[in-house]
Amino acid sequence: MWNYEKRLQFPVKITKTCPKSAQLIISQFGGPDGELAASMRYLSQRYTMPCKKTAGLLTDIGTEELAHMEMICAIIYQLTKDMKPEDAKTAGFDAYYIDHTSGLWPQAAGGIPFNACEFQSKGDAITDLFEDLAAEQKARTTYDNILRIIDDPEIREPIKFLRAREIVHFQRFGEALEQIKDSLDSKNYYYFNPEFDKQMMQAKQ
Amino acid sequence: MGGRCEALEQINEVSFMLSDLSLYLDTHPTDKEALGWFGKYSAERKNLLKKFEENYNPLTIDCVCTEHPEKEPHFTWVDGPLPWDCQEGGRAHVEL
Repeated sequence: MWNYEKRLQFPVKITKTCPKSAQLIISQFGGPDGELAASMRYLSQRYTMPCKKTAGLLTDIGTEELAHMEMICAIIYQLTKDMKPEDAKTAGFDAYYIDHTSGLWPQAAGGIPFNACEFQSKGDAITDLFEDLAAEQKARTTYDNILRIIDDPEIREPIKFLRAREIVHFQRFGEALEQIKDSLDSKNYYYFNPEFDKQMMQAKQ
Repeated sequence: MGGRCEALEQINEVSFMLSDLSLYLDTHPTDKEALGWFGKYSAERKNLLKKFEENYNPLTIDCVCTEHPEKEPHFTWVDGPLPWDCQEGGRAHVEL
């Protein structure tokens, strides 16, 4: 169950129209390491987590990613809401404009539509947590790349906030992984699946 | 009293403290210091949300109050700008 809060997690106040920046940042909406994929990854993985604490963490981080997706969408919306067809054309945003006008649609910077194949839910706690750690780092790199290209401080501030959150999530997932490993046989972390081969976990306890 | 923007900023800050603390407490549920901070900010957030509803509009469905003696009776959840509109009072949406 979810409830909506009528505010952004961090304010987005962009006054200058720039479809070119929108075209790059849209990757964090529907791209391979975007916020939509992040949220769906964690919210899908949590059901079979063998450790209640980790399932709770996945719920909370997956929920925060939804708020990040909303911030990214607010950035794209504010960058494009006042664009003229001419702006779209000169910025290379014309192909998107033809299909979506200034509507929000999840795609990668290169135009590839959002796809659930961007993430996995393997049903193996160790595997999934390693993927989550990698996902946070990949998203951080994407934000680094965005920050290297975009100068407008009004865009940079919310992007810097989102980048910092990736680092915090990486730390928390790292802690979750250590806690799961603590409940397994240290000589055999990677030998069996703690989500499926449940008797192996009980044997240790 | 500051404006709507300032009031919202205060709520954003306190709420951020709470969400960051929540993630920390998810992996450290018995940390006394963090629990203390959580209690403090949680009470502060409740109070700020209530004040925001009284002065502007509800930010959560639980803040909706149907008994405002000074307001025309209506569903106040629809009041206030959309979060993605940056200007105070929101974008000039066409009223259909």
